[in-house]
Amino acid sequence: MSYYFAIIGTQDNPLFEYEFGTSKQGGDGQSRFTDQARHLNQFILHSSLDIVEEVQWTTGQLYLKAIDRFFNNYISCFMTGGSIKFLLLHQPPTSAILSVPSTRNSTSIGANPTSPQTEEAIKNFFTEVYENYVKAIMSPFYKVNMEIKNPVFRSRVAAAGRKYL
Amino acid sequence: MQPSEDDPLTASLQSLPMAASSIRPPKQRLLSSDSVHPLAQSEASLPLRPASDHQRRSNPSAASLFRSTLTPPGSRSASPAPSLSSGTRSPGGGRALSGSVFGGGGGNTAFKQSLLDTPGAADNPGDPLNLVLRSFVPHIAIHGSQDVDELVREKGFSNGLWELLRPFGERIQGKVTIRDSNGLSRSWEDFAVRFTRFGDGVETPDPAVGGGGRPPTTTAANGGQSQSNSRMNLIAQVERVVDRHLSYAEDACMGGSLSPTTPTRQGFDIDATSPYYALYLRRLLSGIPLACHESFAHPVAAVMAISSRNPSPIDALRKLYVETSQGEHRLPVWVDGDYLRYYVLVHDEEQSDITKSMALFEQMKRHFGLHCHLLRIRSSQSAETDDDSIPLPRSDWMTAAEELADIERSEDDQQDYEDPTARHIFESDATAIRTFIREMVTQSVVPTMERNISVWNDQVASRRKGLSGKLMSFGKRWGAFGSSSRASSGAGAGAASASNNYDSLGYYKPDTPEAIMRRLADFAFMLRDWKLAMSTYELLRTDFQNDKAWRYHAAANEMAALALLIMPQSMSSKTRIDTINQMLEQTFYSYHTRCNSPYGAVRSIILALELLRLRGGSGIDEAVRWGIRLMEARLMGPVGDSLLRERMAICYASKQGAGSQAWGSRRRKSALWSVLGAEAWIGQEKYIQAQRCLNEARKMYSLLPAECGVQKFVVASDFLAQLNDQLKEGLRMDVSSQLMDGEGGDGLRGGGESEKVDEESETMDDRKKARRTSLISSGGGAGGAGGLETAPLTPLQPARLLHTLKDDDVGGRDGKDGFG
Repeated sequence: MSYYFAIIGTQDNPLFEYEFGTSKQGGDGQSRFTDQARHLNQFILHSSLDIVEEVQWTTGQLYLKAIDRFFNNYISCFMTGGSIKFLLLHQPPTSAILSVPSTRNSTSIGANPTSPQTEEAIKNFFTEVYENYVKAIMSPFYKVNMEIKNPVFRSRVAAAGRKYL
Repeated sequence: MQPSEDDPLTASLQSLPMAASSIRPPKQRLLSSDSVHPLAQSEASLPLRPASDHQRRSNPSAASLFRSTLTPPGSRSASPAPSLSSGTRSPGGGRALSGSVFGGGGGNTAFKQSLLDTPGAADNPGDPLNLVLRSFVPHIAIHGSQDVDELVREKGFSNGLWELLRPFGERIQGKVTIRDSNGLSRSWEDFAVRFTRFGDGVETPDPAVGGGGRPPTTTAANGGQSQSNSRMNLIAQVERVVDRHLSYAEDACMGGSLSPTTPTRQGFDIDATSPYYALYLRRLLSGIPLACHESFAHPVAAVMAISSRNPSPIDALRKLYVETSQGEHRLPVWVDGDYLRYYVLVHDEEQSDITKSMALFEQMKRHFGLHCHLLRIRSSQSAETDDDSIPLPRSDWMTAAEELADIERSEDDQQDYEDPTARHIFESDATAIRTFIREMVTQSVVPTMERNISVWNDQVASRRKGLSGKLMSFGKRWGAFGSSSRASSGAGAGAASASNNYDSLGYYKPDTPEAIMRRLADFAFMLRDWKLAMSTYELLRTDFQNDKAWRYHAAANEMAALALLIMPQSMSSKTRIDTINQMLEQTFYSYHTRCNSPYGAVRSIILALELLRLRGGSGIDEAVRWGIRLMEARLMGPVGDSLLRERMAICYASKQGAGSQAWGSRRRKSALWSVLGAEAWIGQEKYIQAQRCLNEARKMYSLLPAECGVQKFVVASDFLAQLNDQLKEGLRMDVSSQLMDGEGGDGLRGGGESEKVDEESETMDDRKKARRTSLISSGGGAGGAGGLETAPLTPLQPARLLHTLKDDDVGGRDGKDGFG
């Protein structure tokens, strides 16, 4: 199970990118994306902004759950004020493309990307990142759509990833 | 992705033009420019070339084989019958947002009307809806006697009368009026029939698959094998044909030194279908096998033809009749033998006596009734130079195997190769044939079908639809339970109980209610009575499911979904799409998993996808979802896969957004699929296609509100740049090898132009550049008409011009090529 997390600015520009793997069930927290998948991840994430722009009007919640799917990649989204989006691409471990994820492992996070447990875990992750994000952008030197380079923020995102996913 | 090694196909094709040196003398070219042929026009507008010209146009006949993808679809002459004046297509006319937040009000009208009523729906020959309409048409089997075949062979058609008639069936002259089950008449201008050779394309049924009483494990093992092989071959054949076309275009455009016409013509226009995709669909649909689970390919009528040279005509006709009903040539038992027989006397205008033929014809009418016709044609072969000759186009609906054979023949022996596209017939013959077909269709075939529909509807279907029918089906269901338990113990013998018509045979006999209803539904579908077709398929779906006749089940679901998509409906789009999804799910599962029939699975999903796309709104998302399903199943080869990726991009591009921000559109998704398509094409070394995909992705990205696409994503934009480099490399290889040919001038311009396009739009920060790229590329297209007929390359020679000329255009990077 690998994750690719990105914060997208208002101009479709990534403000922050972070790749990590699961830490649950003995995972070592390293992402398992192949080199080929790296660019594809970015393309997929970018393309699902289309869906975000549509879905964001249907609900009052900031957390939009899993909004999109591209083959075996699922995208979850969290909107912040000012149209900055958090997007998380998660790839269930059954990396054989042919099989549709089944419900057999529904208790383990990630095995079934649309199960309530997974949704809840991703929500917690997003909420924690959001808190840290707000603190990060309160810096007087930060302007909108600027890349977030703060190392503390990065380590906190990593911590949230370890904690919840 | 690195370009894969040269496959033998392209290699052999590249070597083709050198071997081919049948030079057409210029005089003949002048002549042909007088005719009405689309190719001739473009030929006439060819700029005069210098002396090396003749090397180039070494094999004109090969070019004409690939005409269907090289000319824009609009100008292709689809059939010899006069074509319609093409109506104006309103862009996005039938599209509406629905099912999403932005589809709130007003936009839903498209769902309330039939797809056919949307403006311009059926005019464009490459349009998928049109393809659907023209593929599920009545099939008419031709069964001619020896002497007819002889006569037609003298005219230059070695495969018999069938070959002569076939192109004329593709559009019946004038309007054909059809009465539907409610008695309402409607006229269609684009009605078509398909002529087949009697007994061609028969597919044996597969009793093992899904046979109710049998244990399911053995069914998949033995029965499915041969079956799936033949079906697989069909897809493979289609792949190969399209691949030939693509390679040819690649060579021709590069060799022809002009930027390709087709790519730019398609451009961003979502209404135009890529010629290769259209070809893929057409070849896929033209080979509908004569199978037991659907009756589209079953003959609606059979033409019994004799010629005036026959010494004992009436006996010959009787013999033909007997052959079709009981001889060894007769159709399999699951085909209803009760189709219409139509008797034709082919009169030879040049050798036979018309008074004798008239007398014979009168006699025929007395013996066989009204379904007779006297066809008067000349027996000599028409040449291009004759006064009253007109070109006979090739059939649009030839099967993949035939086209492949033609292409291969054109490559193999150059001596006695007769170009199948350059046939001519006398205009008087064409008129006679048109009249004959029109008369047969409007006075015999269609009325017979209408009568059959009403009879079957009254006697079988409506009884089944009524209360007693419902009770009967309940009883059947319980009966089926009983029989299956008996069958498991009694070794299948008990399964042949009266309650189930399917089990023991593996097919339905033609006189069972299920088979009759299937024919009823298919007839209704062919005559475009969607409502009746839909309701009948709906009944059949449950019947077949109860009988566990999975192939039948899949086919019924498929057609039900298609009919539901085409017909007008008052249902809300949400329920409707749910229903359709369910049907497609069942279709796909039954075809793919239960019956192991990739052909059926591919056909049903592609057609449904196209119709869903035309429905617009959330239908587009569904269409793409199905496309992804199909790709995941890996049923198609590399060419089909790439075409499908391209198609996904077009699907998404046709979704329109709301407001100035175009919310709800799918531009980023569309661009993503274009990039994926480009990647796939580059992997197959089809650089022209790849270039078009990349250009389209750029255009899409530049249309975004932020106007910068994936540029700010580092890895992704690196990847794009890398693709670009590969593309440039590929194009340059072709262009440079063509430059070495010695003819520098316009070749260089073409190559340089396309490279300029690439470099420029790499950084797309503003709309201006995007617009400019499109201008440039369309400019290339306008001048590109000449690229059509030029046959590809001449051998590699050391380059002289390359270095000096090229540096101006592309700058330093080219110096590293190592050429010269």
